[in-house]
Amino acid sequence: MKPSLPGASTDRRTMLRLLGLGAAATVGGTALAGCSKEAGSQGSATSADAIKAVLPTYQRVELLKPDIAGEGPIPDGYLSYPSQLVDAVTEAPGRGGPPIKTMSPWWGPAPPPLGRNAYLAAVNGKLGVEVDPSLQDGNTYADKLNAMLGARDVPDLLCAPNWEVDKVARFSDAVKALFTDLTDHLKGDAAAKYPYLASLPSGAWEYSVWGGRLYAVPFPTDGPFAYALFHRRDLLDPAGLAAPTTPEELYEFGKKATDPAKGVWAFGSVFEMVQQFFGCQQTWRKKPDGGLEHKYENPAFAAALEFTARLFAEGLVHPDTAASRGADEKQLFKAGKILMYQDGLGAWQGMQSERVKELSTFDMQPLPVFGASGGQPVIWGSEKPVFWTFLKKDLAPERVDELLGVLNWCAAPFGSREFELREFGAEGQHFSRGADGTPTPTELGRKELGAQYTHIGGRVPVKVRSGDTPEYVQDYIGYYRKHIATMEKDLFAGIKLELPANWSKNLQPTDDKIRDIVRGRRPVGDIEQVRKEFMDTGGEEGRAFHEKALADNGR
Amino acid sequence: MPGTLAKAVALTLLVAAVLVPLWAVLVTSLASRGTIDDAGGMVMVPREIDPSAYITIFSGGDVTRAVWISTLVTVLGTTLSLVLTVLAAYGLSRPGSVAHRGLLFYFLLTFLIFPGLVPSYLVVTGLGLKDNIWSLILPSAISVFNLVVIRAFFMNVPAELLDSARIDGAGELRILTRIVLPLSRAVIAVVGLFYAVGYWNAYFNAVLYIDSNDKFPIQRVLQSYILAGQSPNVSGTAVSLPGVTAYPPTLAVKMAVVVVTVIPAVIIYPFVQRHFTKGMITGAVKG
Repeated sequence: MKPSLPGASTDRRTMLRLLGLGAAATVGGTALAGCSKEAGSQGSATSADAIKAVLPTYQRVELLKPDIAGEGPIPDGYLSYPSQLVDAVTEAPGRGGPPIKTMSPWWGPAPPPLGRNAYLAAVNGKLGVEVDPSLQDGNTYADKLNAMLGARDVPDLLCAPNWEVDKVARFSDAVKALFTDLTDHLKGDAAAKYPYLASLPSGAWEYSVWGGRLYAVPFPTDGPFAYALFHRRDLLDPAGLAAPTTPEELYEFGKKATDPAKGVWAFGSVFEMVQQFFGCQQTWRKKPDGGLEHKYENPAFAAALEFTARLFAEGLVHPDTAASRGADEKQLFKAGKILMYQDGLGAWQGMQSERVKELSTFDMQPLPVFGASGGQPVIWGSEKPVFWTFLKKDLAPERVDELLGVLNWCAAPFGSREFELREFGAEGQHFSRGADGTPTPTELGRKELGAQYTHIGGRVPVKVRSGDTPEYVQDYIGYYRKHIATMEKDLFAGIKLELPANWSKNLQPTDDKIRDIVRGRRPVGDIEQVRKEFMDTGGEEGRAFHEKALADNGR
Repeated sequence: MPGTLAKAVALTLLVAAVLVPLWAVLVTSLASRGTIDDAGGMVMVPREIDPSAYITIFSGGDVTRAVWISTLVTVLGTTLSLVLTVLAAYGLSRPGSVAHRGLLFYFLLTFLIFPGLVPSYLVVTGLGLKDNIWSLILPSAISVFNLVVIRAFFMNVPAELLDSARIDGAGELRILTRIVLPLSRAVIAVVGLFYAVGYWNAYFNAVLYIDSNDKFPIQRVLQSYILAGQSPNVSGTAVSLPGVTAYPPTLAVKMAVVVVTVIPAVIIYPFVQRHFTKGMITGAVKG
């Protein structure tokens, strides 16, 4: 027997696992994701028409004309920082209410709290009401959410990342029981009272509806693609390695670039991108004869699996990646130990600007997406918002108005003084201005800012040129424009799916089996068996559920 | 002597498995940025001693404060836990004490039945302990395992000794403090160490119950440093998000926080170690 130490979370984790109480235990991991759905839940779907009926009327706000106009879900681009900022909100949203408690995720050392944080003081001064943010660790956010929702203990404003919501048992019940129904405050033209909330893309609002009612303010994504395959152009070009344009060239590139003696491998994680090259859908696609086909049933998936397993088998993937899922691929990529890896496009600017300070030639670029054997690639993506912000239930209408006013302030767009204060703090204190007017954070700025107001408010995403990443905005928007036409159409766009428990709980175990195949721990031929197991233990139920959701919406 | 050689090799490997990671952490915490980038991660061979990581963490305030909070929690918690556990164990070790069988059964039941995350959370918030450092102490103040170990040790004290004290006019409290405790130093030291290490490592309770950044214990701060800059894990794959522009601390800073977290255990352990065998065997052979 091992000693039971105070706060022995290992024991608790085991128990949680047994009780199926949530993905509580795995720090930053998702091994238990999906286990937390209430057993027996059949899932539900809200029809697209019901959702359209409650959306805020979209109202474009353009304080500044963009240099590169975005299209659809592609953000606007600005090539210079504006010299003249505009006051976007003329009246402070505070109505003399008590301090507003918020909770939002943050991935980094926690900034100082209210009372010892000049940034919070500066923003609260403008808001006319005290916002008291609690920043909780993003990696264990689901644990905290599970406990808080279960105990019905929520702050005035609660920000929840979309992928954590999937880990919370009966989240839709919690939404109805614990949060304010915002429909009457924001539906249709009512949203005009909060112009910056009304300017958030409708695509993001569509995902903020539960049971036909509007319950949250979304934080829209700044680019709908799920992944890109980044490569080190600064290392490829001098070595005479051309960027691959077919899977065969990708393989050849791997052979040429990998040199374990020098500690260099061609690849980190690439499997999701390879699937896209091979034209495999993210989850479902419509068969020509009607009905849905899961990606595991698509021969393209098997081909992508075989291709990737070969990269692993021939030692072209960094051993850290091959060994586990815990490889710090960003660090390996920055150090030139791997030359290609897949990541969200959000990684781009931060890493480029950080690394170029030490290595002036550093140039990371997403590889243009290509198809296999003359086929078309399929790019995965969606307009699902990154976060949602919920308002606590049973607030007086004036208080709801005050909170929405604060969120409206927090959603003020680029080009406004509010945007600058929210993103960078106070000039001279939290940032200094470069010659081109761009704010550069000071030490204090880095210490005190933690997206306290950003994650809760949503904002219209924009891309802005900064001195240390001069080409980034054009590159980013250029990449999106080049590929947006290849993005897979979301069959379920605008339909709110709450998936059946048998489906959800099967995803991670199946993913683990496929991981084993990719890494050569099981033969590639096993995919047939894995597919069958998946389909038998929830896959078919999932298919029926999804087909019904489409049929109900006349699609 | 192939046997000896094999033993030596096996033991060396075992020791290396323990020491090499610690060494890598220490060396990386003292490495410059250039050295870390050249190594592509953890540094094994020291090139220089660069204390800037330590200067960074101790000038920021959050690590220093967290060390104090953890120290306070550890000292308060260990003291309280030892007092409560010793008193309960003494009562339960005397066959004649009131309802001791029922009470013991009740304690042991908690080995089998776990209250659950939400009920625990409700109790802690209901008692007004949320966002209070007592929420790191009270929910875990008594460990039944430790209670059973101490009780077994107490039962080993000869009854004649206690009877003679009683004849001399000593009350139960005096018997406990003057006779039983001095005889039980070994087990108290071991259990005290268990408790102290547990409190020092308190993490999950802090995630659940502590909201304010300035009340975070060191493990919670450590975690935020270690995972900072790593992308959230979405469906098993790290994905970078828009709007998440953390300025991640350098690897050296992360490792410096690890060193700060590990040091107390490394310092305290040798002092308690000599009591270890005796204290542990008692729990094992008589329980």
